[in-house]
Amino acid sequence: MTAPTTTDGRPNPTRGLGAIWFQVAHSAASSARLQPAALVHTGVHYLIVAVAITTLWTRAADGHSGTIVGYRAGALVWYLAATEVTAIAPPLRLIDRFGADVASGRFELELLRPAPALWVRVAAEIGTSLPRTAVCATVGAGLALVIGGAPETPVALVLVGPALLLGVALTIVAQHLLAAATFWLLDSRTSWFLYQKLQFTLGGLVLPLEVLPGSLGRIARLTPFAAMSYAPGRLASGHLEPGWLLAQVAWLAVLGLVTARVFAAGERHLGDGGAS
Amino acid sequence: MTASPSASSPVQRAPGPAPAANAVIAVDDMRRTFTTGRRRRRRTIEAVRGITFTVARGERLAFIGPNGAGKSTSIKMLTGLLRPSAGSVRVLGLEPWSQRRALSRRIGTLFGQRSLLWPELPARTSLATLGAIHGLDRPGLGRRITELGELLEATELLDRPVRTLSLGQRMRCELAAALLHRPDLLFLDEPTIGLDLLAKQRFREVLVRLNTEHSTTVFLTSHDVADIEHVAERAVIVNHGTVIHDSPVASLRRTLLTTKRIEVGLARAQTVADVRAALGPDIGPVMALGDRPADDGMPVDGIAIGVDTRRQAIGAVLDRVLRHLAVADVSVADPPLEAVIGEIYTRPAATAPAVVQSLRDGPS
Ligand SMILES: Nc1ncnc2c1ncn2[C@@H]1O[C@H](COP(=O)(O)OP(=O)(O)OP(=O)(O)O)[C@@H](O)[C@H]1O
Ligand SMILES: [Mg+2]
Repeated sequence: MTAPTTTDGRPNPTRGLGAIWFQVAHSAASSARLQPAALVHTGVHYLIVAVAITTLWTRAADGHSGTIVGYRAGALVWYLAATEVTAIAPPLRLIDRFGADVASGRFELELLRPAPALWVRVAAEIGTSLPRTAVCATVGAGLALVIGGAPETPVALVLVGPALLLGVALTIVAQHLLAAATFWLLDSRTSWFLYQKLQFTLGGLVLPLEVLPGSLGRIARLTPFAAMSYAPGRLASGHLEPGWLLAQVAWLAVLGLVTARVFAAGERHLGDGGAS
Repeated sequence: MTASPSASSPVQRAPGPAPAANAVIAVDDMRRTFTTGRRRRRRTIEAVRGITFTVARGERLAFIGPNGAGKSTSIKMLTGLLRPSAGSVRVLGLEPWSQRRALSRRIGTLFGQRSLLWPELPARTSLATLGAIHGLDRPGLGRRITELGELLEATELLDRPVRTLSLGQRMRCELAAALLHRPDLLFLDEPTIGLDLLAKQRFREVLVRLNTEHSTTVFLTSHDVADIEHVAERAVIVNHGTVIHDSPVASLRRTLLTTKRIEVGLARAQTVADVRAALGPDIGPVMALGDRPADDGMPVDGIAIGVDTRRQAIGAVLDRVLRHLAVADVSVADPPLEAVIGEIYTRPAATAPAVVQSLRDGPS
């Protein structure tokens, strides 16, 4: 045992939140990368879901003179391959885990750190999902090439990468927003149920939003769920609509701010004695 | 006695420095109530009912009291996790509740029953992440982790997933996490809970060492008297949400001890009843020594006498023993610190301040 030294510097209090964010995300991403078994598991999970859903709809499209709600079979495969990434790549059971951490008091301890707990959590979850997103997107691209053929508008594909990342980031922020109900209700199961159903329908996970009747489809497109899943799907299916990236960024900012406000209120509530 | 459990209960204080500029903790009439239940079931719990004390830089303080006394609630208010219902709280010059984040750069916290490390990851990864959150730069962080690994003898443990560690091993890693950013002040809520004897000893040694080498102020709660004796220099005892005693650990026994035990080896075997008769009717409890029943009517060659020092001077009792009994050997012993503390804990809420008062007036 050697005596500890005090020569090297204390933490730098002026260090920006941005730098903290990237270090936390990087550290989470590297540890996720160091668990290849978990990544293989994610890839297989994605593959099973994507194969099931794409074969289902390409079969259906065959019976509909090759198109469904305006998408030709090949474009539909690219669409589904992209949207499923935003469903499978984000860390699993985020809302449940968060609820458990609030109930066990673990979350409370995260408040005893110099960076906001939400900021750190979102950074860690996004970091963890980066390698997962890469795996799913790679598997998805391979699958789409094999089943759906070459993309109709390869230029649009360039935008799919950022759209997927933004979509995954949006799902993570949105899940935190719903998970915040735990601060008051001490139960997050309803939140998770609600979230899944909303992403499923309004995000266009099973079929493009065009399948929704009239105004419902237009409304769905204005929700953050469309920005999460439909947006990368739309781009992947060959529609060169860069506006979706802007919508994603805007939603990320809005949801981020709202979630931060809700967390601040929730943390105050914890400090006032918590749910009783 | 008529003293009421008012906010400003008279409490014995350590003769240490007055609340000065070097106070790292200054708490004045800190209170906290909780309301539970709804509507008709609504109940208000006064968890902390007016706590006042200061802690100087470099002190090692044990904050002790029975279950539900308000220790954890107090620590949560001192760290900024809970908003005090009333009173003023200053820690390192900051108000914890409103300046929690700034405070968190300078304090370390360890809660024995909770973990800050991610169970699936090696502690080293968790520490790296925590280091990033605290804004440590990479080379500095690497050095710090190595240093803590050595200090806590945890170097090999740092690379195993935390969930595979034993409790004692995990606690060493948890302590590393609490110390990562070189805090000036360390709050530990039952840190040794569940550790074995050796692990506890090592843990205590580290705390004392941090304190002596880096003047880290240590604020500790524990139900283990040995933690108090071996780590703390000062003990603040709380019960029912108020401070009922505050003194150096060394004088705890002396000031609070109201009973002593005189053990007498008899030159000639006698029955306990004969001894009692010889010593007079106002003598304290007399019992046979060793594994004999307290009094079975048979002659014994050793007895013990309990003395309530508030009623009788120990010298007077010894005097009588020497005069009336054929003494082969005699010794006077203190009950263990555990018994002293246990006795304080059992005092009911309303009389606690009164008891402190009587102690102050009585012999010490
Ligand atoms: N969030 C809460 N809501 C309601 N009551 C609470 C809450 N937290 C603590 N209490 C009550 O406040 C009192 C003090 O609790 P506290 O946890 O501070 O005790 P403690 O001294 O740490 O005890 P222990 O030695 O058992 O850890 C208890 O009666 C407890 O039930
Ligand atoms: Mg406690």
